[in-house]
Amino acid sequence: MGKYALSGIRALDLGQVWAGPLLGSMLADHGAEVIKVLTASRTWGAMMKGASPLNGGEDEVRSFQTYDRNKYGLSLNLRTEAGRDLFLRLAAKSDIVLENFHPDVMPRLGLGYDALSRANPRIIMASLSASGATPGPWRDLVTYGPSLAALYGLKSLLGYHDSGRLLEDTADLDPTAAAHAFLALLAALEYRERSGRGQFIDMGQGEAALCRIGEAIMDYTMNGRVWGPQGNRYAGFAPHGVYRAAGDDRWVSIAVGSDDEWRAFVEAIGAPQWARDPRFADGYGRATHQDELDARVESWTRERDPWEITRLLQARGVAAFPVLGSPGILVDPNDEALRQNVRIDPSLEGRIQASQMLSGVPWKHSKTPAALFRPAPALGQHNDYVLGDILGLSAAEIARLADEGVVA
Amino acid sequence: MADAALAGLRVVEWGDFIAPSYCGKLLADLGAEVVKVELPGRGDRARRQGPFPNDDPHPEKSGLFLYLNSNKLGVTLDPATPSGRTLFLDLVRWADVLVENHLPSWLEEQQLDYAALEPVNPRLVMASITPFGYDTPYRDFRGYALNATAGSGIAWRIGDPDRAPVWLPLCAADYQGGVHAACAAMAAVAARRLTGEGQHTWVAEVELMGSVLGGSQLARYLYQGHEVTRAGNRMRQFYPWQVMPCADGYFEIITMVDSQWASFIDLMGNPDWKDDERLANRWLAWQWADDIDAYWAPWLKERTKAELWQAFRERHISFQPVHTTAEVVESDQLRERGYFVEIGHPDAGTFRYPGAPYRFSETPWAIRRPAPRLGEHNALVFGEWLGRSAGDLVALARAGVI
Repeated sequence: MGKYALSGIRALDLGQVWAGPLLGSMLADHGAEVIKVLTASRTWGAMMKGASPLNGGEDEVRSFQTYDRNKYGLSLNLRTEAGRDLFLRLAAKSDIVLENFHPDVMPRLGLGYDALSRANPRIIMASLSASGATPGPWRDLVTYGPSLAALYGLKSLLGYHDSGRLLEDTADLDPTAAAHAFLALLAALEYRERSGRGQFIDMGQGEAALCRIGEAIMDYTMNGRVWGPQGNRYAGFAPHGVYRAAGDDRWVSIAVGSDDEWRAFVEAIGAPQWARDPRFADGYGRATHQDELDARVESWTRERDPWEITRLLQARGVAAFPVLGSPGILVDPNDEALRQNVRIDPSLEGRIQASQMLSGVPWKHSKTPAALFRPAPALGQHNDYVLGDILGLSAAEIARLADEGVVA
Repeated sequence: MADAALAGLRVVEWGDFIAPSYCGKLLADLGAEVVKVELPGRGDRARRQGPFPNDDPHPEKSGLFLYLNSNKLGVTLDPATPSGRTLFLDLVRWADVLVENHLPSWLEEQQLDYAALEPVNPRLVMASITPFGYDTPYRDFRGYALNATAGSGIAWRIGDPDRAPVWLPLCAADYQGGVHAACAAMAAVAARRLTGEGQHTWVAEVELMGSVLGGSQLARYLYQGHEVTRAGNRMRQFYPWQVMPCADGYFEIITMVDSQWASFIDLMGNPDWKDDERLANRWLAWQWADDIDAYWAPWLKERTKAELWQAFRERHISFQPVHTTAEVVESDQLRERGYFVEIGHPDAGTFRYPGAPYRFSETPWAIRRPAPRLGEHNALVFGEWLGRSAGDLVALARAGVI
């Protein structure tokens, strides 16, 4: 015992789609006992189908769902009186309940924080809704991560700065919310250590994501200025861009953040005449003439391989790195460890390894490293463990619950 | 009156720019006592970043710095000087958590890496944020958020097919580095309760972007052979999933639910094209997205954000307007939630700042003090806490150590 950071913590995971399951997996990777509660009618959902390591039948999709690795599976119909009662009994023996439904769902099931805390005053409940649990005009909007990113302004910054046209992405709403929620849960555990009391954490996922565009918010509140699409630019850095390199659709990122770095860059590229132009000598000049600067930089990069550019600039301490796609990442020519870890291997072990690398929590701990304990559970795979070992129900009682559709 | 969740937790933040500052802010806003260490005379890069009130640059008035450093104490100290090192090691003895973002090789040269600090304070949790991690061939590469995003696979999927890949703007990778380092540090604090020992924990921005933000991108390639590439204003996974212009702005058009898509069609008056067989399976329809868009894009383009939003809301359709930052800050939603917080600062004045990413029922998130001026708390931290005399402090300041 005590080998993992969260050994001894038990969490009930009602997460759906992405943010909730990801949060549960962060706890599970560090040794918490995370029990995924699902019913046959409410499975993992189609959203992350593409994330399934196996693109096989529905069972395989469920079994190998990346974000439910390391968890135990309990199938429980929370719409039945007995199902709700069992959930409350389980909550009495747990530390954390997490969910990312609309904020009315849990109270309507009779499983709101009030009910949970009556069952267990030490319970910590994290509720990750789109716009928070308290009243507000956006509270009931139907959203996905990308539409929530639109609603909270993040999307208005994503596009080419010259054309003003906006671009699409999966958006960082869900994973950003999950990470902030993990921090909130651990802070609440710290408080519980001192006070013995649990609490309710109300997260509006859009609000958590808004925390990461501070500069844009502050320029509005300070100066009334509204930022449009940013392209690859960022104030105070020039050059700061993604430049075409030699070859078909190959690119390299270069970021210069100071006059010292600029001088190193100029040296690295052989100090051509244009680079010694006094207009580019300081940050103000480079920012003022950034279009011309970018064209000049690209005239140099487009003759060269992105890795060659990277090595040349890094040797002088200039920040540069190729733009990599999935194949580039998975066959990184310099990374022996990566090539060893990613095996398309028919064995279960190979698949788990790859799924950890691909969608893991990349926090390294020198003494209590996260680990993969087991693949994602099949529906109800651990009913006997959860209901029998944890709650003390007999095999006959569990069988009766299954007959009645409570465990289903 | 309940205390703050992390009351009593002692944090030293020694780094530069967004990632360590955001990590420190998250912990400070939850009640930890965070001492921010800045270089004497120079300070954090964010002090020079702005935005500044009235665009008037001033190291105590940078909006980014003020936002990222609320609730902290500020000291100036150069741990790479001999006298600075002594003071720094005293701070390390005091701390539960050290947050930093220096290059691993430089820390080793300075003998300020975890191997050197562990004997000084065996209970120390050291949380490191670097662009490329400790255990990759690129551990000592320089990198800003742009470069980490480029290497992660994220930029590869954003942009037009024939134009440059685009990063997630405003140093998203640094904010991810900050929040994940805070998570990793708190996991190590929890582990310390079980083991009695501190440890080193680190996050690589390139891995955070690639694996956590990447979602299913790498898995789809590895297991299905489907490479996610740039597709301009849409993602090619199901249809519709795209950002589209309307008369006076943009709308995010996305749904996975058939009934919402049917409601949208119904709203447009059930045009004949609804029976186009390419729409039968919306998991495949993205292949013909240009053709299908042409059916309804003009309808959207003729209507304003406000009228579309009204219509979509009435029908519970998940399409949402792309709000500007002004529309977000001035929204009734965030006013009713009380999201933005007013913070007064003696030099910069009083402005609204982004508020809490979460709400606690027992241990409220709170702003207790504005960001520190450069070296504001030298006397308190070095003098009162670490026991240096007033004369020492003057001598250290004169020598440029603090």
